Amino acid sequence: MLWFAVHLPWLSLEAFVATLGAEQRQRPVALLADHRVQAVNATAAQAGVQTGLKRATALALAADLLCGQADATRDAQALQAVVHAALAFTPAVAVDGHTVLLEVASCLRYFGGADALLRRLRSALAPLGHRVQIAGAATALGAALLARWRDDLADGPQRSQLAALQQLLDRAPVWLLGPGREHWEALQGMGLRHLGDLLRLPRAGLARRFGEDLLDDLDRARGTRPDPRVWLTAPERFRCRLELAMRADHAEQVLHGAALLLAQLVAWAQARRARVRAFTLCMHHEARYRPDAPTPAATELRIELAEPAVDGTHLQGLLRERLARVQLAAPTLELQLHCHELALQEAPNAELFPTRHSDQLGLLRLIERLSARLGDEQVQRLQPVADHRPERASRTLPALSTLTGAAAVTARVTATATASTGDWPLTRPVWLLPDPLPLAERQAMPLLEGRPLQLLVGPERIESGWWDADLATRDYFIAQAMDGALVWVYRARLPVTDETQPLWFLQGRFG
Amino acid sequence: MPADSAQRLFPDLPDLPDLPDLPDRPDWPALPAAAPQPGLPDLEHLHPALWRAHQVGRQRDAVWASGFATLDAELPGGGWPARALTELLLPHPGIGEIRLLAPVLAAVQRGGRSVMLFDPPAALCAWALASLGLDLTQLVLVRPRDGLQDRARALPPAADILWALEQSLKSGHVGALLAWPGPRLRPDALRRLQLAAQAHDGPAFLFRELQAQARPSAAPLRLLLASAGPDELALRIVKRRGPPLLQPLLLPLAPVLSAPARARALRDVLLPVADAAMPACAEAAEHD
Repeated sequence: MLWFAVHLPWLSLEAFVATLGAEQRQRPVALLADHRVQAVNATAAQAGVQTGLKRATALALAADLLCGQADATRDAQALQAVVHAALAFTPAVAVDGHTVLLEVASCLRYFGGADALLRRLRSALAPLGHRVQIAGAATALGAALLARWRDDLADGPQRSQLAALQQLLDRAPVWLLGPGREHWEALQGMGLRHLGDLLRLPRAGLARRFGEDLLDDLDRARGTRPDPRVWLTAPERFRCRLELAMRADHAEQVLHGAALLLAQLVAWAQARRARVRAFTLCMHHEARYRPDAPTPAATELRIELAEPAVDGTHLQGLLRERLARVQLAAPTLELQLHCHELALQEAPNAELFPTRHSDQLGLLRLIERLSARLGDEQVQRLQPVADHRPERASRTLPALSTLTGAAAVTARVTATATASTGDWPLTRPVWLLPDPLPLAERQAMPLLEGRPLQLLVGPERIESGWWDADLATRDYFIAQAMDGALVWVYRARLPVTDETQPLWFLQGRFG
Repeated sequence: MPADSAQRLFPDLPDLPDLPDLPDRPDWPALPAAAPQPGLPDLEHLHPALWRAHQVGRQRDAVWASGFATLDAELPGGGWPARALTELLLPHPGIGEIRLLAPVLAAVQRGGRSVMLFDPPAALCAWALASLGLDLTQLVLVRPRDGLQDRARALPPAADILWALEQSLKSGHVGALLAWPGPRLRPDALRRLQLAAQAHDGPAFLFRELQAQARPSAAPLRLLLASAGPDELALRIVKRRGPPLLQPLLLPLAPVLSAPARARALRDVLLPVADAAMPACAEAAEHD
């Protein structure tokens, strides 16, 4: 058996820093417990704030110190995200305090060796933003102790051998064990500093003096007693929340917190071996910040992907663009991210050289990005409609709704309707004005920009639309303007009741 | 200074030797002839990016055939350039520019890639595009946000289009791009688009107004279009890798008029339309 232990020594501090905004992270930050400093970040450490100082002393050393309290639920959620990231590598994952244990002996061959596995583990944990200490050993508790002790024991020699582990543990300090930390003063007074010292004493006396737990932990760490663990699994639905330290008035200010939640979502999706199809970000408004009753309790932002993906950068880009377009009804203090729509099939194989399939996928992602920023209605496709009225003969549809992932890739409509090879003249102009432009008249002939048009082809009578109260009775002509360009004009065949009503209109230009 | 005066002022100076007379210009050796000497390679064939100023250059990357043989003969490389912007300057939309580009767009779509249009100046007729040979399922239109509706971001619509253009050029999965960037396109924005176009494996066309001719541009190919009568386009190459084209090219477009209608049009037109449409082209060619 080979165990890797991932220890997060500053988990509480990092979980607290995740709730802060971008500009507040640059300030010195300290975590307090019982009015004493428990953990500090690098900026505060440079200012001289250390663990164990009183709150007043710390504030005197760094005037702009941000103080926070540790929150057990927040820590548990952050640890859960690390567990999900570990579940992508092995199904045997357990937790021991602030340490995540992975049993990787069975999957070493799949990942190509312990070093390659460690590299991938570190890169998978990087987006979560924690400082980790990783150690490897033959027993679970032994690996946990080594990870808590030092950072450079991940690739130590003979890490899968029990004898080497026992020799290393003999030199480890006693306060690594939980019971050892409680009795540290007494043990130190007796001159017992290392675990090897404990082994030389009679076991019955140690048990009577310091309790069975100390010996129990020591035996499990050395491998002389079995250590069964309960394996953890990823939940079916993803639901996590983040409370911001400062209230956010604009949607851009929640970007940091939302990005962290998204990193946790990606870790969970990878643990489930699935790809995300859609997720929802809820920004809750507190009652006291809502100015009036009709303001909703939460602003929901739902992001659906045309092609299920688990790519962190792509999801972050989409979220950033969509957040920029959202307007918050009221300031928000709490974010929640839900996801229960997954695609459980394996992703199609990526190809080394660009092919038609990868081009289509790349185009799909580009259209998703453009739609996220400009809006779904602004990225369009054209569709011809069988209607003689020119303003209704084409319809624009949002491009994302016409693409459905696999359907767009496989089913290619290759036949074009009425493709002309140049033998027959074109009958319709490429450019159509959205509203027909009324033209001035002189001697019953239309004028464009003050110059007479020369009517060349016509009239083409279009009389259609009596069924939906939009009757169009028009005579269409192809005319040539003075500079040689061809335009499409029509004369309305309405019963003329008003002499001042224009009769000639410009409908389009032949581009 | 004459030698005798020098001797008067500085009597101890030694005599300077006489300088030889410079030969007259006709005696200087002649410049090397244009024909290459045997055994040495042509300089312009050393690298595809080299070209002599009096010749039309070649294109380093692939070119896309325009579908018009006379035009291909005048374009560097023999077609529309890939990985670079092409500027088309028009007096107004609707003189035949889409019919000019229809062959290359249809070829791009037959290769399996899509055509994207950015902020076209008017609505498009789907039947007209289909009859020009384009596949509507591989056509995407991008329009800017309406500034009044979206108050969350107070960006002007032109910035939206430039951002979308840059993203599409950089993605490298789009086949061809047609863009109408608007009247006030800054030269640094154009430069940025030209740099982004180097990742784009197909033709990219920018449609601009005639007044942009006087302003410098980073696009390596600039064409001036004007209508030369029904179903005919007069085209001048203002900037290319090579000498600017002095005579306008007349290209026959996909016909809109039938033959009798065309004859009727030509009979009744009094002005020679080609010269009247381009009054200032002679001066512009000297500036570039």
